[in-house]
Amino acid sequence: MPPPARRGKLAYKILFWFLLISLAPMGVVGYHLVGISQASLRKETLAMQESLAVGFADTVYKYVTTFRNVLAETAGIDEFASMNSVKQQQYLNRIMQVHLAVLELSVSNVQGSEQMRTGRFLGPAPEMRSFEGEEFFIETMRRGQYIGKLERFQGLYPTATIAVAVVDQKAQPAKAMGVLMARVSLNGLSSMLGMEFPATGKSAAAVVDKRDGFLIAHSSPKEVFKPDARISDEVLKIITTQTAPKGGGEMALADGRRLLGAYADVRDLDWVVYVQQPVEYAYQTAAEMRNQIFRVLVWVVLFTILLSLAVAGHITQPIRLLREAAARLGRGQFEDLPEMMTTNDEIGDLAQTFLAMSESLKEKTGELIHAKQELEKFTKFLEKRVEARTRELKSAQDELIKKERLAAIGQMASVVGHEIRNPLAVINNSIYFIKTKLGTASAGTDPKIDKHIRIIESEIKQANGIINEILTYSRTRELKPERVFLSAWLDELLSVYPFPPHIVLDKQFDPINPLVDIDTTEIQQAIRNLMNNGIEVMPQNGTVSVHTRVADDRKSVAILIGDTGPGIPADVLDKIFAPFFTTKARGTGLGLAVVRKVLDRHNGSVEVESVVGRGTVFKLTVPVAQPGTPPPSGAPAGAAGPQHMA
Amino acid sequence: MVKLLIIDDDAHLRESLAEVLELEGFECSQAGAAHSGIEAAKKVDPDVVIMDIQLPDSSGFQICQTLRKRSRQTILIMMTGRFLSSEEKKQGFELGADEYITKPFDLAELSIRIKQLLSRRTPG
Repeated sequence: MPPPARRGKLAYKILFWFLLISLAPMGVVGYHLVGISQASLRKETLAMQESLAVGFADTVYKYVTTFRNVLAETAGIDEFASMNSVKQQQYLNRIMQVHLAVLELSVSNVQGSEQMRTGRFLGPAPEMRSFEGEEFFIETMRRGQYIGKLERFQGLYPTATIAVAVVDQKAQPAKAMGVLMARVSLNGLSSMLGMEFPATGKSAAAVVDKRDGFLIAHSSPKEVFKPDARISDEVLKIITTQTAPKGGGEMALADGRRLLGAYADVRDLDWVVYVQQPVEYAYQTAAEMRNQIFRVLVWVVLFTILLSLAVAGHITQPIRLLREAAARLGRGQFEDLPEMMTTNDEIGDLAQTFLAMSESLKEKTGELIHAKQELEKFTKFLEKRVEARTRELKSAQDELIKKERLAAIGQMASVVGHEIRNPLAVINNSIYFIKTKLGTASAGTDPKIDKHIRIIESEIKQANGIINEILTYSRTRELKPERVFLSAWLDELLSVYPFPPHIVLDKQFDPINPLVDIDTTEIQQAIRNLMNNGIEVMPQNGTVSVHTRVADDRKSVAILIGDTGPGIPADVLDKIFAPFFTTKARGTGLGLAVVRKVLDRHNGSVEVESVVGRGTVFKLTVPVAQPGTPPPSGAPAGAAGPQHMA
Repeated sequence: MVKLLIIDDDAHLRESLAEVLELEGFECSQAGAAHSGIEAAKKVDPDVVIMDIQLPDSSGFQICQTLRKRSRQTILIMMTGRFLSSEEKKQGFELGADEYITKPFDLAELSIRIKQLLSRRTPG
């Protein structure tokens, strides 16, 4: 399973740097622009707020001065200035009719005693008052007019007292005749504020007396029509301590609210118009703009990211293809490389170079694989050669060891022949001498001497026999094969073999009487050795069997020599053909070794089967002479065959 | 009397053989080596020489050759303690040997054989 592909790492890198490079300056500039626009927007909002305050201050002024002008006009009329009470009453009634805000009108003389009084809520004969010590009277008398004395009519409606001096213009010089005073309801101001700043809105406006904080008008009627109507002390404190005729700014209230406030003094009066808006509301536009900018920015970022991804993907796709192709190459898959666009740029060059490299690699790998296969073949060949050679060497070594052993035995035998035959010859000579002497001297010597002489002679013969056996085994005699009919030849051999009387011969020859090329001396020696052994192990009685059996392919014939002796134990069976191995009290252990040697020399084989208690069978196999092959040099077949047959 | 020379490095063998053959009526001289054997042959001029094939100073075949060159009449019998290959035997016969005997030998047989060989010898 391939490791999970780390996809688009390069793409992300490109994206990151692209974003950083492209968006960061834009972000910084945007941030500053937003800041600037926010500041200017706020400034603008504040200025608007201020201008509202100023405008309203003007309106308030005009409102109040309208009444003053009405009074001044009326007071300036000759008929009024003449203090004609009837005429005055007519004028007052007209004012009351026209100006609903006027609640009460009063005329007093220069001493301050009220001459005439009319009002909307007065009885038919209202009480006349003296204004001699009143502020408005003194002010009016001194300066000609007065606006002030804010009160709540019936504890609810704010009212102001407006007064003008009644002056007789005809007199030289003009002569003050009295004071025309009106008590004017200021509800109209609240109504105007209410229209300008509806109660449902977030903004509010108020007109306040700077000296005592009397709430003259408010955009919300609820705020103003109550006996103790005031605006909050926090705001009041701020606006009453300002020295500039107008101004504004943000305020943070104790309850956490942030307000944008503006004020403007009302001309010629100690009144101030105050306008406020919650900051968030005041700056709503700014906030909206900011949000809009942020939205745009988000879109821009998203778009940029998508664009970058696309661009990065487009740029890195051929690289990814290259990587995939390289991975395939790495796994040794030269076929099915992904299709690579050969664009006219560095990546295209890279792809071209890569393709060239892969071709070269494919070629080289092919060569390598071929070389490896060749090498493997060669190695196998070499291994086989080495194996064969080793086998040859091993068999040669075995052969050599065998030959060396035989050579050693031959050398030993030669030494034995020389060194023992000499003393044997001497003993033989001496005993012959003694025997001859005794024989000629006297015929009647001790018969035991004769017996011992015979024993010595017999032992000499036996010793000589042993020596002969060893020498026979060890000598390198040239093989002299003859072509004979096997059955006939065996018949003759058996006919001259001295079987003891207690031994029965069981002779069974194959109906086919095959021709064999054998060295008769040696094969005879082998068969004799086997029969000697068989007879030796059957001292009481027994059967020696001699059978022949031609193989089915007629290429070989087996001569089976068996006995009914005690048999050979299995643990001994595989050693019996080894030279000098013997179980007899007296024996060279060469009899069977000679048998095997002889059969080996005839390209035959010898096998043994034995059942303890029942007997042993030796199977000598020799090749059958093939018709068409010339008979071996030696006695011609014709000479031996028919003769034996007969 | 028939003169016999026995050449063998084994003194016991020489002596026992000589004494047995003396019983048979031969006149025996002895030598222990090839060199002394040839000397003895020159001195005695034997009718029969029985010599070992292996001698300390020389091969029996060389004595055989020397003695045959010296006389065609002398009967030369080679003694051996080992099997001789047919090549060796042929070589011996070519060099003039008359007979081979293998130790230990049947003395009666040897005696008869010597007498027979002597009887066939062409006089001169």
